[in-house]
Amino acid sequence: MDKFDVIIVGAGLAGLSAAYTLAQAGIEVVVIERGDYPGAKNVTGGRLYVNPVRQYLPDIWDEAPLERHVTNELLTMMSSENSTTIRFRSEKFNRPPYHSYTVLRATFDRWLASRAEEAGAMLVTKNLVDDIIKENGRVIGVVAGGEELGADVVIACDGALSLITEKAGLRSPGDPKNYAVGLKEVIELPRETLEDRFGLTGDEGVAQLFMGSLTQGCFGGGFLYTNKSSISLGMVVGIKDLMEKKPPVEVPNLLDDFKERPEIAALIRGGEQVEYSAHVIPEGGIDGLTTLFSDGLLVAGDAAGFSLNMGITVRGMEFAIASGVMAARAVQQARERHDFSAASLACYQQMLEESFVLQDFKTFRHAPHFLENPRLFSFYPQFAGRVMEEVFTFGEGPKAKLSDTVRKHLSFGEAWRIARDLWGGLKI
Amino acid sequence: MNIIVCVKQTVDLQQVRVRKETREPVFDNVPLTIGNIDKNALEEAVRIREKVGGKVIAVSAGSEQLADTIKEALAMGADEAILVVSPEFEGADSGVAAAALAKAIGRVEDYSLILLGEGSADNYSGQVGPRLAEILGLPQVTYVSSLEVENDTIKAVRNLDDCFENVEVGTPAVVSVVSEINEPRIPSVTQILKAGKKPKEVFKPEDLGIEITRSIDTLSNLAPEQDRKRILFQEGADKDVASLAAALEAEGLVRR
Repeated sequence: MDKFDVIIVGAGLAGLSAAYTLAQAGIEVVVIERGDYPGAKNVTGGRLYVNPVRQYLPDIWDEAPLERHVTNELLTMMSSENSTTIRFRSEKFNRPPYHSYTVLRATFDRWLASRAEEAGAMLVTKNLVDDIIKENGRVIGVVAGGEELGADVVIACDGALSLITEKAGLRSPGDPKNYAVGLKEVIELPRETLEDRFGLTGDEGVAQLFMGSLTQGCFGGGFLYTNKSSISLGMVVGIKDLMEKKPPVEVPNLLDDFKERPEIAALIRGGEQVEYSAHVIPEGGIDGLTTLFSDGLLVAGDAAGFSLNMGITVRGMEFAIASGVMAARAVQQARERHDFSAASLACYQQMLEESFVLQDFKTFRHAPHFLENPRLFSFYPQFAGRVMEEVFTFGEGPKAKLSDTVRKHLSFGEAWRIARDLWGGLKI
Repeated sequence: MNIIVCVKQTVDLQQVRVRKETREPVFDNVPLTIGNIDKNALEEAVRIREKVGGKVIAVSAGSEQLADTIKEALAMGADEAILVVSPEFEGADSGVAAAALAKAIGRVEDYSLILLGEGSADNYSGQVGPRLAEILGLPQVTYVSSLEVENDTIKAVRNLDDCFENVEVGTPAVVSVVSEINEPRIPSVTQILKAGKKPKEVFKPEDLGIEITRSIDTLSNLAPEQDRKRILFQEGADKDVASLAAALEAEGLVRR
């Protein structure tokens, strides 16, 4: 059995960030990826916040193939016949260093992989890791393509449905309520058309989030991000709600209906669909996390459950990059001690706790519960729509005051429930 | 017995899409790989080496990423690689490719067999093998679907579509193979890892006295037009079946 210092399973952001960091430190590292190339199997809605991760990979951001920096934040509440959008544009967001970029993973991950390889990491694609090898309860390697490969430490970065953590007994097969499914299309448009439609200049971009009728009352929402010459359009829906929905709905149909909405159809008209992807998203918050380390094993990225629904956005990529780098640092420390036991690798957990990763998970620990409230996805978008419709309509008779319009659509009981929801929202 | 295998770096055709509006293939950011039939040639070389010993040397000319792309050939079993790298090979014609490969092959002192695919995955001119044989003054056998090597003799079966031809030729010779000759192996993880450490000689065209000239201008490269009939039957199954059958018949697609 050939032996290496470190084997990383999965060449996504966590795996590649770990590989790059380890290779830079001169540590022999092998990354095994099942896709044809890194990024081939990865899906993101489309936005990366750079500030949290700048310090973890300090030297890559100037050259990284990012799409557009986001200057326009749009939030849209949709009901079946109308929609209410808040558009926020900031000139501050238009000055470098930009804080967030839209990104296409097929491009970004391949680029990051080439950086890791230049630094000395060995990348093996088109190979699935089938199992881990254990000796006296300790992980000592993996089985890939029928071959056994040994390592001091294995880092599991194999995504939301991580087989490695399951085989290692660190997580039980998923509970539907801890997962959502994300679907996305990339729709290509000429650069100028796209910039005209969204009112953009140069490399600035739009991030738009949708909630309401598009998910037919299920937990979730839609998203739209502008790339250089394409639009990433998609939605996220809770798996548990989908399972319980009567009559059942097919998720791809939800996305098709969403695309046919006049609000969206006009934006993508004439565009060519160049990518269609779907992926499972861990959304269990802090309670959905796996055990993060054991003897000879570390877990990073989605495999660990590091994806957080913070109400308006689902964040995963920053956690993946940061946890990947911290896993690499933990390996470096363990090497100094010549000890790859759980006790020695526990420094990984400590680093995570001191970083934004686990602190964000703690801060937003109530978010999953709050977001389970179905009123967010049906009542509020409808209520906003009804009020707006009346505000902007002049009928035959005298016009009612705004307060009367609101009161008409809002019983005392509803007002009380809104206050309660609001209180719940403020707690997260 | 040393065997030279000429391989070509091309875009991964599975990843190429055609822009509907313009019918142009999109090559931006498409991963590079080695041509499919080249892999058959390489596989055949590795099988011969496994029987009779010797070395398999992959030879290629291509753009900058070649040193990385060639790892695939080394993982499949080539022992070493000789590469000529220049951005100007992008879109170069068969004459240039054959001349460059001949010069690179000139770096190998002793070889008995030069193997190639019958045509490249992208241009598929099928010319490089014959041109190479002419430049090197070697006998050539093309479209080989079965190959046996005994001492200094090569026994080959040529697939000529309407017949098979049995050919015997002395070494060294240039042989181009068809895809049915074998099933290329999928390299194991260890082989992929070892590939990065195998010896590679990388030259620039000027190192070997190669001149890259252009004798072909590409005017356009478009996918064939695909016209959909756009006929929708929606009057209920009773009527639609008959209408569909009539429409297919009108197109000459069904005969009674």
